[in-house]
Amino acid sequence: MLRMVSLLAGAGVASLVATPALAERGTDGVVNILSWQAPSIMNPYLSGGEKDTDAASLVLEPLASYDENGELFPRLAAEIPTVENGGVAKDLKSITWKLKPGLKWSDGTTVTAKDVVFTANYCMDPKGGCAALARFQGVDKVEALDDLTVKVTFKELTVVPYTLFVAMWSPIIQAKQFADCLGTKAPTCTEANFYPVGTGPFVVANFKPNDAVQLKANPNYRDPNKPAFAGVNFKGGGDALGAARAVLQTSEYDYAGMLQVAPDVLSKMEKGGKGKLLSVFGTNVETLFMNLTDPSASLPPEERSTDKHPHPILSDVRVRQALSMALDRARLSEIGYGSMGKPTCDFVPAPPIFAAGNTECLKQDIPGAVKLLDEAGWKPGPDGIREKDSKKLKLTFVTTTNATRNQFQAIIKQWWHEIGVDVELRSLDASVFFSSDPSSPDTYQKFYADVQMWTNYSDAPDPGEYVATYTCNKAPLPDKQWQGSNVPRYCDTNYDALVKELGKTAAIEKRAEIVKKLNTILSDSYAIMPLVWRSSVSATSKTLGGYVGSGDSRFWNAQDWYRRK
Amino acid sequence: MEVSDLQTVFWSRRTRIYAANGVSFHLNRGELLGVVGESGSGKSVTMMSLLRLLPSPPAEIVSGRVRLGDRDLLSLDPSEMRKVRGGEVGFIFQDPMTSLNPVFTVGYQLMEPLRKHLGLGRSEARKRAIELLSRVGIPSPQDRINDYPHQFSGGMCQRVMIAIALACDPKVLIADEPTTALDVTIQAQILELVQKLRQEMGMSVIWITHDLGVVAGIADRVMVMYGGLVVECAAADDLYANPRHPYTRALLETVPRADMAGQERLKSVGGQPPHLTVFPTSCPFAPRCPHAFDRCRSERPPLMPVGEGHDAACWWDVIEGSPRDDV
Amino acid sequence: MLNYAIRRLLMAVPTLFLISLMIFSLLKLAPGDPLSQLPLTIPPEVREKMRAALGVDEPLIVQYLLWLKQFFVIEPLRGFDILFGTHLSDGMQRIISWQTRGPVFSMIAERLPQTLLVVGLAYIVGVLIAVPIGIVSAYKQYSVFDQIGTFLSMLGLAVPPFFSGVLAILIFAVYLDWLPTIYNTNLIVNSWSNFTEQFLQMAMPVMVLAVQTIASISRYLRSSMLDNLEQDYVRTARAKGMGENVVVFIHVLRNSMIPVVTVITLGLPSVFGGAIVTEQIFRVNGIGQLLITAIYANDVPTVQTLAFIFAVLIVVFNLIADLLYGVLDPRIRYD
Ligand SMILES: Nc1ncnc2c1ncn2[C@@H]1O[C@H](COP(=O)(O)OP(=O)(O)OP(=O)(O)O)[C@@H](O)[C@H]1O
Ligand code: SF4
Ligand SMILES: [Mg+2]
Repeated sequence: MLRMVSLLAGAGVASLVATPALAERGTDGVVNILSWQAPSIMNPYLSGGEKDTDAASLVLEPLASYDENGELFPRLAAEIPTVENGGVAKDLKSITWKLKPGLKWSDGTTVTAKDVVFTANYCMDPKGGCAALARFQGVDKVEALDDLTVKVTFKELTVVPYTLFVAMWSPIIQAKQFADCLGTKAPTCTEANFYPVGTGPFVVANFKPNDAVQLKANPNYRDPNKPAFAGVNFKGGGDALGAARAVLQTSEYDYAGMLQVAPDVLSKMEKGGKGKLLSVFGTNVETLFMNLTDPSASLPPEERSTDKHPHPILSDVRVRQALSMALDRARLSEIGYGSMGKPTCDFVPAPPIFAAGNTECLKQDIPGAVKLLDEAGWKPGPDGIREKDSKKLKLTFVTTTNATRNQFQAIIKQWWHEIGVDVELRSLDASVFFSSDPSSPDTYQKFYADVQMWTNYSDAPDPGEYVATYTCNKAPLPDKQWQGSNVPRYCDTNYDALVKELGKTAAIEKRAEIVKKLNTILSDSYAIMPLVWRSSVSATSKTLGGYVGSGDSRFWNAQDWYRRK
Repeated sequence: MEVSDLQTVFWSRRTRIYAANGVSFHLNRGELLGVVGESGSGKSVTMMSLLRLLPSPPAEIVSGRVRLGDRDLLSLDPSEMRKVRGGEVGFIFQDPMTSLNPVFTVGYQLMEPLRKHLGLGRSEARKRAIELLSRVGIPSPQDRINDYPHQFSGGMCQRVMIAIALACDPKVLIADEPTTALDVTIQAQILELVQKLRQEMGMSVIWITHDLGVVAGIADRVMVMYGGLVVECAAADDLYANPRHPYTRALLETVPRADMAGQERLKSVGGQPPHLTVFPTSCPFAPRCPHAFDRCRSERPPLMPVGEGHDAACWWDVIEGSPRDDV
Repeated sequence: MLNYAIRRLLMAVPTLFLISLMIFSLLKLAPGDPLSQLPLTIPPEVREKMRAALGVDEPLIVQYLLWLKQFFVIEPLRGFDILFGTHLSDGMQRIISWQTRGPVFSMIAERLPQTLLVVGLAYIVGVLIAVPIGIVSAYKQYSVFDQIGTFLSMLGLAVPPFFSGVLAILIFAVYLDWLPTIYNTNLIVNSWSNFTEQFLQMAMPVMVLAVQTIASISRYLRSSMLDNLEQDYVRTARAKGMGENVVVFIHVLRNSMIPVVTVITLGLPSVFGGAIVTEQIFRVNGIGQLLITAIYANDVPTVQTLAFIFAVLIVVFNLIADLLYGVLDPRIRYD
């Protein structure tokens, strides 16, 4: 990883230069951004929701960001610290960031290492409820060596030290502005949370939560010729379909994102020629999760859906494999996502270096599935539903209420029915399903069902944290308030050992090799079944120049946008 | 006032109702004409037709002439017609409580015709309204003028209605069962009041009622209606003493008299009232008439003179006890 | 009447307390989590801390009493401060939204203008159009006008705004390209061109909302007029020689408006409540949209405060409707 970053960082910067040479700050008028989910706060540390962090990335900047290729490039940092350039200690226990000299906050004051240290203190205050706290875990101390140098010391060996101060989730905030906002006072600083002083290309001029944000060009932005736009009109509300319409059909807006709209509807709109669609494939994978523990309601609450009782049907890998073989992922992808999705067998689909590229699951094999079930002892009953020891092969399949997901449910039910599996479908409101309320029986973590379907993803290009979500100790348990990322309750000592090894491996090729191995182990267990690699779709008007889709934020290169004449 | 051949039809979705079928009568200056007849006989329809007060649709005045002075009311243009209403002809209705608008003061409702027909200003109209109220016997009228109808009793409301009807010194007052909704003592007071005002103001009155007894006391002449037709018309005492139409006779038998021993039960007219869905081509009373004979069922009897100022519409001569052969 | 009003208001106090308690408990009982919209990558321990920072873990009674204090003491004080430039509420914790970490009342104040402008104007326009339609339909019952009116009102009542709104967008924005589909809440009207812009952006939402008002109020007025046209006093007015204009517009209308005014008054809290669907479609982002986004985000303080304000408005407008009835109908007097 470290070498890759150093190698590719230069390339990343080079790609940014491809902007029109004649641009001058504020000459291109206002760019209109439409987001059906409007930002409700401009401080990413108090939100964590993408609608807020994306908007905030126009104003607040981290030391380094990921570009469209998933490669790090410096923002406030002078360069990306690596072992080679001495920025990362040889023992991998500290990282030293150097700020670009002469950086100014939008209010004209100078950015110093103290602001960076303050940012760490702000987020690490245990009473502050900081959404990015996980990025600061394992940090021993953050200290300013001089006005431009910050040293982060970790408690343990840390192979990927680019978590805090990197990407839109962890930008630098101004110490002066947030001085009185530490701990329990964090939420009361409305002014600072709505109008943060930043270093990004724009400054908030008017913030109406969940409605509209007006931004104007930052007069103190470090590149005197940027941004080309004098301001941003950021509008929220409505639905995704209406947002797509406003860009592709009525050209009222320049950009609309998160367009979860039926693919055929979108491509029909695009044919009008007023704008174009952009699909960005991140790490989102629509996935089926098998419950490996028994969710039976007859079990006592402290044992239900825990490893005390293996699942009576799904703990047999042959059954799980049969269920997977019955699926036609390509069909699902085509129906649900069109060109915005790709069938996949990998739960880590990107970045390319980490993707295993498995394909054997893609072919639907109903006879094979039937054979496997026969072998597993499940024999067809009089009604066509398989039975074993007079127990019916019947599964409860839950997902959130959503047209595409519910359509998938129906199709999958059909296929599973063909191999003699009876399926009961349920769908729950997303806010209930993804709630972490331990008293609710319907949360995805409690998993009081046999099969679930939702989208899982990694929020960092390095999948180290992401693969670690399926280790044995991450299974949700009643005494952990049902918190835990290992929803299928998958537990394999080989897998855990490999994850541990990954935590000690710094070389990028080695890491990639381990991740691919982990991916294959998990895929072969059929505890989770990746279905469709989903892209995030956005639409831009014909006159918006310089927009580049991915990167950590959707607006990561807003400083380079311009009006196409 | 002279009415001839007045015919009013109600059109509804499928059926027609022939409510007045060629009514003719006259009203002499200063006289009180009583109009009697059972419910549904067309009394109200006839009188409202005179002023074209029936909503159209459904009502349509098919034919007839209503002469008042030298004009035909049925051919007046609407604005002329409105001058006659309330100006030359006053109208009082059966239910005083609902006949006044509940959301306006009685003063306002009384001043409306004054200002419209007499062109009085606000304060003049008010003065005259107070005067009128005191004339119809409402105590402390200057206070009550600002009251709303619901603050008055039924009798008082009817007095207000009378004041409204008489506000512009009309030539004719049409009173459609003005006392039916009131209790007996109040009825007498209202009767007395109208008699008094009639003498004072010298107008003609048409008094519609079910109550032959009431009519006997006050009417100069009486007109009996049946099935949308005038069946008999005569001076009051003549009619009572000498009824010439079987229906009138039947009706009179229903009236309690002083000479009747109290225990004798009142008779009512037997049989059903006529259907009005077809234009009568025979005697409408024939199904209920004890004297009915062939001619009655084939030919409608016109109103014909049967004595001095006495008309009746019947083929049977009750005096002779035989069909009329002279017509 | 004043006595009556005061008595009614006092009687409303326990009712409102009960309502506030019910709103609070229902929101607490409802499943959902203010953090459910956050990325799944935020680990559970961090979520726990975030929840704690929101105050979700305080005992329920403490949360309820705190909210009561904030609603009835701190927020009014704050209002007083703004009006008179005092500093009584300084340093006191206002009702804070879980979503925005900003004061709920500031958000309400921010959104009320567009809601009142769009939904309120739609209501006014709707009533103004409905009244003549109602009068004519009743006066000319079964006429062609009345038949068309009946048909269109049925349509207006039956077609939901999420359909009519999108239809309007397709016609007026996509095909004709006359009107904007997105409402700009930052538009400041200080010139003729701004005014035109404001007018254009309000046209569709106002139209869509007004159709509903027109349909219901005109039907209501029509039947009320029909009832009254049959009344005896109408005949009396005609018999007095009053012209048809006086009969219809003074005698009949005055009576017919009594129930209609009540209905209009009772509908006013919904103006303040905004129009959830229409606000969403045209991105007016007023109170209705605030409520719905708060509900989706499980932003309990916001939902609770809004719901309670609606409850207060409903109680108040019920009272106003009652009092208006007394003013309009002399038969009803309160003492
Ligand atoms: N608006 C109307 N539509 C249809 N038919 C009507 C209407 N008004 C009156 N009629 C019919 O006209 C006929 C005469 O009614 P009218 O009111 O004149 O009777 P009436 O003699 O005044 O009876 P009452 O003593 O009950 O007042 C009745 O049969 C009635 O059914
Ligand atoms: S005309 Fe005949 S039926 Fe009619 S009243 Fe006279 S006798 Fe009777
Ligand atoms: Mg009558």
